Amino acid sequence: MLLFAVALLYPLIGLGTPVGPWIWNGGAAGSTPAAVRVSLTLTALALAIVIAAGTPVAWYLARGAGADRIVWEAAILISVLMPPIALGILLSLAFGPGTPFGAWLLRVGVLTSNSPAAFVATQVYVSIGYYIVAARAALAAVPRELEQTAALLGLTRWAVFRRVTFPLARLGLAAAVSIAWVRALGEFGAVIVTAYYPSGIPVQIWVNLQSAGLPAVMPLLVIFLLTALPLPWLIHIVAQRRHADA
Amino acid sequence: MLEAHIVKARPDFTVDVRLSLARGAGLAIFGASGAGKSTVLSCIAGLETPEAGAIRFAGTTLYPPALALNRRPLAYLTQRDLLFPHLSVGANVCFGLPSPNLDGAAKWVDELKHRLGLGPIWSASAGRISGGQARRVALARMLARRPPLVLLDEPFVALDRPLIGDLTRALAEWQRTIGFTLIAVDHRREILERLCPRAIAIEHGRVVQEGAWSDLAAAPATPALARLLAPD
Repeated sequence: MLLFAVALLYPLIGLGTPVGPWIWNGGAAGSTPAAVRVSLTLTALALAIVIAAGTPVAWYLARGAGADRIVWEAAILISVLMPPIALGILLSLAFGPGTPFGAWLLRVGVLTSNSPAAFVATQVYVSIGYYIVAARAALAAVPRELEQTAALLGLTRWAVFRRVTFPLARLGLAAAVSIAWVRALGEFGAVIVTAYYPSGIPVQIWVNLQSAGLPAVMPLLVIFLLTALPLPWLIHIVAQRRHADA
Repeated sequence: MLEAHIVKARPDFTVDVRLSLARGAGLAIFGASGAGKSTVLSCIAGLETPEAGAIRFAGTTLYPPALALNRRPLAYLTQRDLLFPHLSVGANVCFGLPSPNLDGAAKWVDELKHRLGLGPIWSASAGRISGGQARRVALARMLARRPPLVLLDEPFVALDRPLIGDLTRALAEWQRTIGFTLIAVDHRREILERLCPRAIAIEHGRVVQEGAWSDLAAAPATPALARLLAPD
């Protein structure tokens, strides 16, 4: 296990290589805190949308009896398999002024590129498939007989989910949330196409690399790790503690 | 009153059984393993949907159309205990109670706790108790809501003989005081006899005989039933 951890984290050695004095302010004054703020707030919003929209879909795929599930699974896999930059291009075209829907969004005042809305929408698109795949596996692992037993004891569907399905699936759901968070927060390829502004951390890393080289990239990498890690870590600790208490 | 006609296809035969049972009465469904006994219970409980027939209990239509599980006025003890492993024994027993303090529920739960010997394990995790203990917890959880219809599928699996004696006496007593209608399924006559005065015998999904246990024993309708009824 130790050997595996060392191998897995070996690339972090790169942070210690001599690249010259680190430039903490990046390419422009205030760009680093702005990128952190954009990444954390908008990714949190995207994650909330992913959980709200993805959980019922994952539940349907885990518990539904219809043959149509195969079609929905294929649709979700397409979103997962799509190269990020290709997804970004497709999102730009589909939500751009060239389509009736994109034109309508513009008419009602929603900017579909280089805006917080574009940033969040792109993050939702790149991460929701991963969330659904992981959440579906977690929900499917809960024995259906336990849910039926709870229903026979008088519980409504929602109460069964809240009191039986969710507590038993929570470790897997925590993993699904973590995957979605990391996937959305670290997204670069699709976001740089749809939302160069406002710049999140990954785009800012690229901007810094272009404008000031590696000394401006290293601090942002450290900040990215410090901001990306706490949420999934905390979720896992809480889920595992509750699991152990049960 | 329970009135049921259940038609349900299985891979090797079709279950086609009619039941009629007065409110508060007990009926045993007796037969060899794989005869279709559990299918009958499962259809009444709603875990399986019959292909035809009708099920009504105390003015409520259970099928057709299939009534939602949480609206069925019954409790079902399946062959597996199906305890909620993330909860304590006490939380499992009280799981279906809207409020543990409502309508004398606390006193009743306390009686279940003591009669079924659950006191020492009340705070233990349900995932960490023995098979025999789990069976008693499942029984207590089922009865905690004081259901009007109780379905028991091999209720005393994994329990020793003295405990079975205690539990059958307790169940008979509770049936008198609560007044629930009881249907019990097992392939062991000695278990069912203590719970229900009347029985129907099933073979390959069909009722082959119905009546008091003494009638069945005096003139079994089929050789297979005679073998099942014969003392060990």
